[in-house]
Amino acid sequence: MRRAPALLVAGIAIVAAWGLVALAAPFLATHDPIAINFEALLQPPGDANYFGTDNTGRDVFSRVVYGTRYALYIGLLGVLAPMAIGMTIGLVAGYFGGWVDALAMRLVDVAVPFPFFVLVLAIVAVLGPGIENYFIALALVGWIGYARLARAEALVLRQSEFVLAARTMGFSHPYILARHVLPNALSPVVVYMMTDITLVILFGAALGFLGMGAPPPTPEWGIMIAEGSFYISTAWWIAFFPGLAMVMIGVGFALIGDGLARWLRLRA
Amino acid sequence: MTLLSVRDLTVTFGPVIAASGVSFDLAQGEALGIVGESGSGKSVTCRALLRLLPASARVTGSVAFDGQEVTALREDALDALRGRRIGMIFQSPASHLDPLMRIGDQVGQTLRRHRGLSGKALAEEVVRLLDQVRIPDPRRWADAWPHELSGGMKQRAMIAGALACEPDVLIADEPTTALDATVQKGVLDLLNSLRADRGLAMIFVSHDLGAVARVCDRLLVMRNGEVVEEGTVNRIVTAPVHDYTRRLLASHPDRLPPRPPRALPAGAPEVLAATGLSVRFGRRSLSDWLSGRTGGFVALDGADLTLRKGEVLGIVGESGSGKSTLARALVGLNRAQAGTIRHLGQPVQPAGRNRVTYLRQVQMIYQHPYEALSPRLTVEQSIAEPLRRHRLVSSGRIGARVTELMAEVDLSPDLGTRLPWELSGGQCQRVAIARALALEPAVLIADEVTSALDVTLQAQVLDLLSRLQAERGLSMIFISHDLGVIRRLCDRVMVMRAGQIVETGQVAQVFDTPRQGYTRELIAAIPHLPGAEAPA
Repeated sequence: MRRAPALLVAGIAIVAAWGLVALAAPFLATHDPIAINFEALLQPPGDANYFGTDNTGRDVFSRVVYGTRYALYIGLLGVLAPMAIGMTIGLVAGYFGGWVDALAMRLVDVAVPFPFFVLVLAIVAVLGPGIENYFIALALVGWIGYARLARAEALVLRQSEFVLAARTMGFSHPYILARHVLPNALSPVVVYMMTDITLVILFGAALGFLGMGAPPPTPEWGIMIAEGSFYISTAWWIAFFPGLAMVMIGVGFALIGDGLARWLRLRA
Repeated sequence: MTLLSVRDLTVTFGPVIAASGVSFDLAQGEALGIVGESGSGKSVTCRALLRLLPASARVTGSVAFDGQEVTALREDALDALRGRRIGMIFQSPASHLDPLMRIGDQVGQTLRRHRGLSGKALAEEVVRLLDQVRIPDPRRWADAWPHELSGGMKQRAMIAGALACEPDVLIADEPTTALDATVQKGVLDLLNSLRADRGLAMIFVSHDLGAVARVCDRLLVMRNGEVVEEGTVNRIVTAPVHDYTRRLLASHPDRLPPRPPRALPAGAPEVLAATGLSVRFGRRSLSDWLSGRTGGFVALDGADLTLRKGEVLGIVGESGSGKSTLARALVGLNRAQAGTIRHLGQPVQPAGRNRVTYLRQVQMIYQHPYEALSPRLTVEQSIAEPLRRHRLVSSGRIGARVTELMAEVDLSPDLGTRLPWELSGGQCQRVAIARALALEPAVLIADEVTSALDVTLQAQVLDLLSRLQAERGLSMIFISHDLGVIRRLCDRVMVMRAGQIVETGQVAQVFDTPRQGYTRELIAAIPHLPGAEAPA
């Protein structure tokens, strides 16, 4: 076993730190994240409010800290359904080939030309705003990338001798798929998932920004940036700190993805 | 006159010593063979001669070519040496030819670079070179793309390119390993005649003693980066000194103990029979349909086969002859479009609904040792899998049965918790055999199971298969491109070519009095050890 590369360790450290922030939010936060305080509107960062206050006097620091929960919740949960659906479709298509493959890939071809975010927006617009509907939209269109990756892996694996051996030992196809194909197709998918988490967090925030995500008083980074955008020249801190948090969490997952890809390639 | 003189050449990659203290001389017109198994340092040594190693390699010692110290040359002086004075050819011609460059241009690029030829003179010279390596109709093939050439033709084109500047030395690194036996023979003959005609000195690297003996007069035997023995080919083959050389020689198919001719008991039942088995790949396109063609590619064309209880049947043929297709059709991995398969007289569908009953009787083992085992299962898990899935023994007995099976294939019990990548190729192949035996089959189909193994490991695996066959009264189908191996292991042999069975008969009869011209050609191409041509 080779030592994990520094990139991977750094990425895990960053994401783990954000995880701690999310867990310890009630202890870290200095104020109630949704408490309005008209005594202290648009206060710059200082001793009383580390990151300043917004236009209704809410503490930006506490809102950023609580917002971590939403970001991680959206990111980690948002990729699960697309991954499960995409892996299943991709593995089955690649392993069996023939008309199953043709059907699945035509479905992918239809979805690919539309920009991902436009599709998500359209679906959320139809279903109505809210994080749950965002998850549904992701499940409907996010599986495509996973399906293509998993299919490519399955195409190679189905010809490999250990899969042939499993077939000639008389094992059933579902068993071979689950026990021999899936575990060996997993690594590129996990790498892709890391970049996908970043994307899902960003798009989640973008929905919040557009008013199609979580409802307004929620301490969600996208909403905070949207609200702060009106004051960007006078009170930059309202939009800046949630933005910075988002960049940092994104870098963390990106590093994990990159490091993991390198590590797996080294081991291969 | 000594052309190349190597002294104390040592190559290290970090802590790994790839070659250590290698010394030899090469005289003008001499052919030196370097023999060794994978990881013995033979290729590294060759590449070090031309300084073709990656930057991570540390090279010490001296390489003197025609009085010049190669290790001290500047990069531009080195360029004048490579290709011009020393030519090199490699194992896989396919990956060393640029797929987007015509054959003539590839051969011509050295001429243009080193001899400044161009235009008509260049074209003439290219044709002359291609003719010299006996490419028929060289004018036509000079305009061909690499993918249009067969493996043997590609290797000839590579040799033509290497000879373009009339080098003094040709370094050939496993030049025939990827080629079929008859093609290999052609390339070896070509190298021999080039040497005779032009006094070309040669370093010929191979794992195959038989091939080396056809070309070389002197031999280095390498192991773990060191030269263990050096001498003339005849001396080493007849009177080896080092233990390892003896083992290497004893593992050569020529020296393996011959299978005693034996008669099967009268009335031994037919465990497996196939009639008129045909497999077609690809589908029939519209244009095939319009012009009345069957379409696709016929990989197996009406093959008949019978296998009696306790019999070992060899199937031999070159790549693309359909031997693996036949084996895979027998276990249901390829769907046969026509023909029937019978097991003990009963028709069976190897891919049909009752396949499990049939497959428990007919098991297959595969070519690539590392690929045949599921990479994330330990040895024990791999062997236990069929026992568990098919409930062959009670769950409490699984561990004990796995231990038994491992002992049967001579695997040390402490390997049980290893993963495939922690095993050697031979060990992986033993696990695959144990896994197949777990089903207690009556028929074992072995598809090129030793061709990816080094000769000493090959000998051990063949020995194991022979023993298991005798002990268990197994019927076996043994598929190989290597006639030498087939001869040592099988009772009966089938020769395949282009999807058809061209000859079948008892081993002794087919080898001693082949009826078909193609069989004769195959037998003549076996790279024998000198002095071992007499049939055993």
